[in-house]
Amino acid sequence: MSLARTRTSAILAGPTVAYMLAFFVVPSLILLVYSFWSSASYRIVPDFQWGNYADSLMSPVFWKVTFNAIRIGLLTATVSLILAIPVGYYLVYISRSQVILYLILITWFSSYLVRIYAWRTLLGTNGVLNTVLLQLGLIDHPLEALLFNSFAVTITLVHVYLPFCILLVVASLSEIKRDLIDAARDLGTTSFGAFHRVIAPNAANGLIGAFMLTFILVSGDYVTPQMLGGASGQTTGLLIADQFRKTGNWPLGAAQAFIMFAVSVLLYTILLGLGRVSGLIVKRRRPTASAEA
Amino acid sequence: MLIKLVVWTILAFLLAPLVIIVLFSFHDSPSLSFPFAGFSLRWYEELLGNPQLSAAVLKSLGIALLTAVITLLLGATASLAWLRSGRFGRNLIEAVTVTPIALPGLFVGVSLLVLFAQAGVQLSTVTIVISHVVIAIPIMIVAMKARLTLFDMSLEEAARDLGASQLQTFSRVTLPLIAPTLISSAILAFAVSFDEFVVTSFVAGTETTLPMYIWSMMRRTVTPLINAISTLALAFSVVILVGAWAIGRWRRSSSISGRETS
Repeated sequence: MSLARTRTSAILAGPTVAYMLAFFVVPSLILLVYSFWSSASYRIVPDFQWGNYADSLMSPVFWKVTFNAIRIGLLTATVSLILAIPVGYYLVYISRSQVILYLILITWFSSYLVRIYAWRTLLGTNGVLNTVLLQLGLIDHPLEALLFNSFAVTITLVHVYLPFCILLVVASLSEIKRDLIDAARDLGTTSFGAFHRVIAPNAANGLIGAFMLTFILVSGDYVTPQMLGGASGQTTGLLIADQFRKTGNWPLGAAQAFIMFAVSVLLYTILLGLGRVSGLIVKRRRPTASAEA
Repeated sequence: MLIKLVVWTILAFLLAPLVIIVLFSFHDSPSLSFPFAGFSLRWYEELLGNPQLSAAVLKSLGIALLTAVITLLLGATASLAWLRSGRFGRNLIEAVTVTPIALPGLFVGVSLLVLFAQAGVQLSTVTIVISHVVIAIPIMIVAMKARLTLFDMSLEEAARDLGASQLQTFSRVTLPLIAPTLISSAILAFAVSFDEFVVTSFVAGTETTLPMYIWSMMRRTVTPLINAISTLALAFSVVILVGAWAIGRWRRSSSISGRETS
């Protein structure tokens, strides 16, 4: 690589890197600094103290909503991944159907709020599901239990994040060479066996990545719990958002955001550890970067 | 085939709620129940006479357009740099430009809010555009990266060897090859901005974009008007995606014909 070429690419990348530093990296760092400040009667005071972290970690309400967020996040990510794998498998190995791919993209790009609203319409007391069940004579009176609980939140979140999860699974399965599967099939494994013995170990890192990304996005989602969660479906995301909208204790909200972040990192480490111990994740030899030369 | 059945069931789960919204947007009665009381366009008529809604739509269109243009410029230069970089450069570019995609909108939203508050910047349309670009760049870079890995750098070298200047090489060789990818990625950036809600809700101040307007409606009541707005928003994203897809197809056919004649 010539020096001139390195300089050209540095000049080209400059504005974008600067933009992201200014509006993504720096704000994240300011948020981190904020988490150590204190707030007194709606005024934010520069400080260095662990009070926000201590207060959050000792608050039963914080733990309750955080466990709720983790539970909803894990459940949603698990269901999404289980549903995404057959779709991804089908798209990568059986039929590169453009129709299916574009239907998935349409749901991904259809409005986030519209989809939340759609589920409220479906699950509401006078909603579509209840009226249909009533008319079919399957129930005598509308089921109240459909809305405002973690079931409603989970099914909506699966709907919102499944398209994204599918695209991640497609990306990670696409990296596995078809020949590997053909070889396994030639050697007499079933298609399920080929998935279990060949695809899963090779794709494990990508699949865990898809699971974690879905988990992080879901557990940070606060709009769905607010619209469909009722009192029992509240999550940390909503608690954090409220600090920045209503109560106005920004340093506390910042600290809670970083605790949530730490929880995600911890979960990722645990998952990777479990994967290694169970032998699902094997260290792959990466192809040497001959193209770099 | 079993797997095909499973795949289509999952697709039905993804599409059914949207289909129901579209269906009830044409419902003559405000109730959300079967049997259908008849088709009517009354909710759409009501929308047309709503000045707040048209103001919100115009605002969102303006913001999305600005976001798409800025994202296009920043994303294009970063992708060109990515093409020319070694492993270290590529990792660096990806680390700062792609990471926001892996973070909840909540995190990005509150950190930008804290930045603007600390810098004493008044929340306005400008802060919304700045924030939308942060969300759109990662998607643009990911979309560009998938296409650009297929880009053949030797084409540029050939042009340079034949005596073309750096500018000529760019305008005659590189740009025509990557233009369709650039345009379809910019369209995605437009779509992302047009629909963005979570980050916007922190940095919008008193401005009302279309998602903010829908949100305020959703919180007040369940009105069939939302079905009509949603249907229009859905139709809009379908048009955008079909546009991006058509441009993608054009790209493929033009690059293949380019390859064959060269």
